[in-house]
Amino acid sequence: MHDEQLIQELHTKANRLRNHCFTQFCTFEQGHAGGTMSVVDIVAALYLHHIKFDPQNVDWPERDRVIMSKAHCCEAIYAALVELGVYPEETLGTYYCYGSPFQGHADRWCTPGIDYSGGSLGQGLSFAAGLALAEKLKMQLEPPARGETFLPRYILRYAPTYRTYCIVGDGELHEGQIWEAAMFAHKFKLDNLVCIVDYNKWSLDGPTNDVMPIEPLVDKWKSFGWWVKEIDGHDMRQIVDSLDMADRLYGDNQPKCIIAHTVKGFGVSNWESLHMHLGRGEEMMKGVREGREKYGDL
Amino acid sequence: MATYNEHIQIGEPALINKGIEKAITAAAKANPRILAILEDMGFPGIEWWTTTIPERMIECGIAEQNGAVVAGALASEGFIPIINNFLFANVGRAFNQVRQSILVDRFNVKFIGREGAWGEVGVSHNTIEGLASSRTLPNLVILNPADVVEAEKAAEAMLQYIGPVLLRQESSPTPLRIFRDDYPFDIGKAYTVKEGADATIIATGYMLTEAIRAVELFEAQGLDVAIVNMCTIKPLDEEAIIAAARKTGAIVTAENGTIVGGLGDGVASVLAENYPVPMVKVGVEDEFSQSGLITPERDELMEHFGLAAEDLVVAVQDCVAKKERLRRV
Repeated sequence: MHDEQLIQELHTKANRLRNHCFTQFCTFEQGHAGGTMSVVDIVAALYLHHIKFDPQNVDWPERDRVIMSKAHCCEAIYAALVELGVYPEETLGTYYCYGSPFQGHADRWCTPGIDYSGGSLGQGLSFAAGLALAEKLKMQLEPPARGETFLPRYILRYAPTYRTYCIVGDGELHEGQIWEAAMFAHKFKLDNLVCIVDYNKWSLDGPTNDVMPIEPLVDKWKSFGWWVKEIDGHDMRQIVDSLDMADRLYGDNQPKCIIAHTVKGFGVSNWESLHMHLGRGEEMMKGVREGREKYGDL
Repeated sequence: MATYNEHIQIGEPALINKGIEKAITAAAKANPRILAILEDMGFPGIEWWTTTIPERMIECGIAEQNGAVVAGALASEGFIPIINNFLFANVGRAFNQVRQSILVDRFNVKFIGREGAWGEVGVSHNTIEGLASSRTLPNLVILNPADVVEAEKAAEAMLQYIGPVLLRQESSPTPLRIFRDDYPFDIGKAYTVKEGADATIIATGYMLTEAIRAVELFEAQGLDVAIVNMCTIKPLDEEAIIAAARKTGAIVTAENGTIVGGLGDGVASVLAENYPVPMVKVGVEDEFSQSGLITPERDELMEHFGLAAEDLVVAVQDCVAKKERLRRV
């Protein structure tokens, strides 16, 4: 259990990330406001507390990998990278701009600190599973150092070299490839892999479960052989506790899925009521003004 | 009697998969980072892999989209994954996955894709569009070897090259052994198999065998035809194409695949932009393939598509006639 102070701190930091997102939305009065606001607490918990990540050395081989499969909401990741000092705050104002490291959809090639070039939905979980498998294969295939030979590290390990976290959207679960990846992760016993579903209940065309029903979601993941935990994706304590729990279960040979119930456009009333997907123009700026008033000057 | 260039020694038919198998097994022995990505469609040298290094075989099942992206991730961590399948599956079925999760970031993934107009199975597996569609993808090197020797050298070069490479393993009648073991293979370099003055056949893959079979027929017709082997479909050897056009003034392309967007169109755009000369494309016209048997007496699909040595002769005659007409104007 974490003390109240940490939770409060993370809460405040998440609001700072929201503010960074507003700055990005202002560049072209456009952005994926709804999905970004629903995932920002999860991103804050990961980047600002949970994962192994060195802002001075973003290519550190032992860093935990974060795969933003719903890469249209990478504004939240950019906000975290700015908060960690990987990029200066001015970079936020170049979001969507030609030559900017903050491309519209996450692009590993242009943005050191980003692990995956996403945007074409449904592929991130496969990539995350590949990274998790690579971690295991490296352990298995690279001969252990001399000092380790009395207890081969692939026989008894308490922690992986790195963990892989994958954030997927709920609409993305319509993609068949997600379930190919789910089978794959189970087959290769990827207990170093955590998938977080940002279950904000809304897709572009309407409610996710009307567009194409994904329920019963918990049963689905369980039947694919995954450990599943449902949480409130805006309750910071539940987020960090579930991430810790997934870590502690390492060694059980099961990939982990955290289903985070969230609200599309969370924290900004007109975005929440519109279930805003891609915000543009005045609708966007109205929300930004409200958000700035609520979370500004942190 | 035709004179071929120094690295050519025409031999008996030999399966190109033997060459691929040999190169890949040798490379995998030497480099522990090479992984076999299986999609329930076997792998070159599978018995050796199974008995020697089963831990480096990643079986993904019939789920090519997941397989492609997993391979991208493994490559991003320094492994060299090789995905073996039919080309319509490992690249075609997973086209966007290959683009987004491999090529965008230039991950070092290798594809072996079986493809071509021939086969008993029919339209689903005798695919003809793979070269054309793959050519549109940036960052992808495409190799299409002509015989067992070139296949071995191409597979070797593919694994030495850092970046995504597609090695097309053609479904076709068994090609002749054409190259000697000292044939200098280089990615991106065409090889002149035979010099000539009247026209040049630029052939890729199995069609090089038909071009060589056509040599005697050309001689009987009094035609002096050059033959260029184009193994690398991307990047195309533009210099070689322009040099051939300059020298012979008539170009015939020959490929085991659609003529829409394939080698023929690649050569055509190089010529149109640099050195326009008459040309004729031999390949599959704009249609799908079907089942067909190959027996010593008869090759039904070769007849249907017009891919035989005799068809090349007609194409060359046609092209030379065009050249003559232009000369008279």
